[in-house]
Amino acid sequence: MKIELQVNGEEHELELPPMVRLLDVLRGKLGLTGTKEGCGEGECGSCVVLLDGEPVNACLVAIGQCDGRAVLTVEGLGSSAELSSLQSCLAEHGGAQCGACTPGILLVAEALLRRERAPSDEQIRQAISGNLCRCTGYERIVRSVQEAAKLRSDDSAGEGAAQ
Amino acid sequence: MSLVDLSRYQLRHVGTLEDLCELVHEHTAPGAAGAVLLAGGTDFFPELSQRSWTDALLPMVFDVSRLEALGGVSWDGQRLRIGAVTTYAQLQRDPLVTEHAPLLQRMARDVGGPSIQARGTLGGNIATASPAADGVATLSALQATVELQSVRGSRRVAIGELQTGYKQSLRQADEVIVAVEITPFVSEPFWYWRKIGARAAQAISKVAVAAAAERSQGRVTRFGLALASVAPVTAQMRATRQLVLGAELATLDGSALDAAVASDVSPIDDLRSTRAYRLRCCKALVRELLRQLGSPV
Repeated sequence: MKIELQVNGEEHELELPPMVRLLDVLRGKLGLTGTKEGCGEGECGSCVVLLDGEPVNACLVAIGQCDGRAVLTVEGLGSSAELSSLQSCLAEHGGAQCGACTPGILLVAEALLRRERAPSDEQIRQAISGNLCRCTGYERIVRSVQEAAKLRSDDSAGEGAAQ
Repeated sequence: MSLVDLSRYQLRHVGTLEDLCELVHEHTAPGAAGAVLLAGGTDFFPELSQRSWTDALLPMVFDVSRLEALGGVSWDGQRLRIGAVTTYAQLQRDPLVTEHAPLLQRMARDVGGPSIQARGTLGGNIATASPAADGVATLSALQATVELQSVRGSRRVAIGELQTGYKQSLRQADEVIVAVEITPFVSEPFWYWRKIGARAAQAISKVAVAAAAERSQGRVTRFGLALASVAPVTAQMRATRQLVLGAELATLDGSALDAAVASDVSPIDDLRSTRAYRLRCCKALVRELLRQLGSPV
């Protein structure tokens, strides 16, 4: 099946079996290994990407359902050389430790910050409620997202909004 | 069946409900390999490893997630109509759902986390016919009607009558779930939702309780109540509803209520909870909702 997919702002025309998971296409065909597979059944949130701006578990989406849609992965937020403000905040405030959940956390937080300039702690907790983290106890993630929200409202140039 | 086999499945996009009904009928005929209607995939993908399909019998998958005839929320002045592929995320932000079925909106916040809510659909929750389905318990409390369509035409079934056994339903293999319809609770309306799980998000219910009521002069004049995860099907709570409906709330007897609740459920010990804990929750939560309704039980 022919699938047109925009990934991190770049257009791709792919020929793929339609029921292959979006997760496998991102990591395999497109080589975007920033998106991690955890449980493979929608429980852990490690593989969350934004599909047309909404967080989805890439392990539960068939590539054939993505024709004509836009995907944002962790690679679309910033690069190792130039992290987005959200990425920097997670690194600086201990919101990323072992890193397994971090790509998913970054994307649900990115979706929240695009919607809410100054989210409450409760809104952040609700946004990350589908993402399991075994290191931080979540407190540091909440603080990191708060710090990122402050930075983004100070600098309303829209850094990190690659899409 | 494993993930590797996914590349062997075919996926078809269909433009209209009529075409879908024709094709599903064809693929579910005796001897055919079957049909899967794929919406959010939140059950399909996790359950792949339990499938026993063989090479020759790989079902045809139809993508219904963007089929217009199965989407949308509308209000005709009397009934709220919600398309089968409406997601939990859409339920949370739809102003018509907020106005006419706030219970449904509240429930939608507790299904998985946001990334599940963005994909999972009400129709999928009905189709899998799980007794743990939060959506089905809520629709049962709201006394919703399910619209089914097939090549034989359209029919409406009360949600409480749809499940016939564990993951079994009155729905025929070639019937498509089109929409649900709800007549709102209006006179002194009341609703109650409580989900008991291992944690607030991402947990399948140990017990979930959904209720909706209308009241007049100290009595309950319309009462919907259903519990998830306490019986082989969504518990429709007939004895409890009969006891409460029309009774004077001020004189309702707590022990009679407990007995009715116990007769309406048949919880089991499983990996999520125990029979004893579930039974205790059922009684306590039904009492809690009746106290909120104004009864001193």
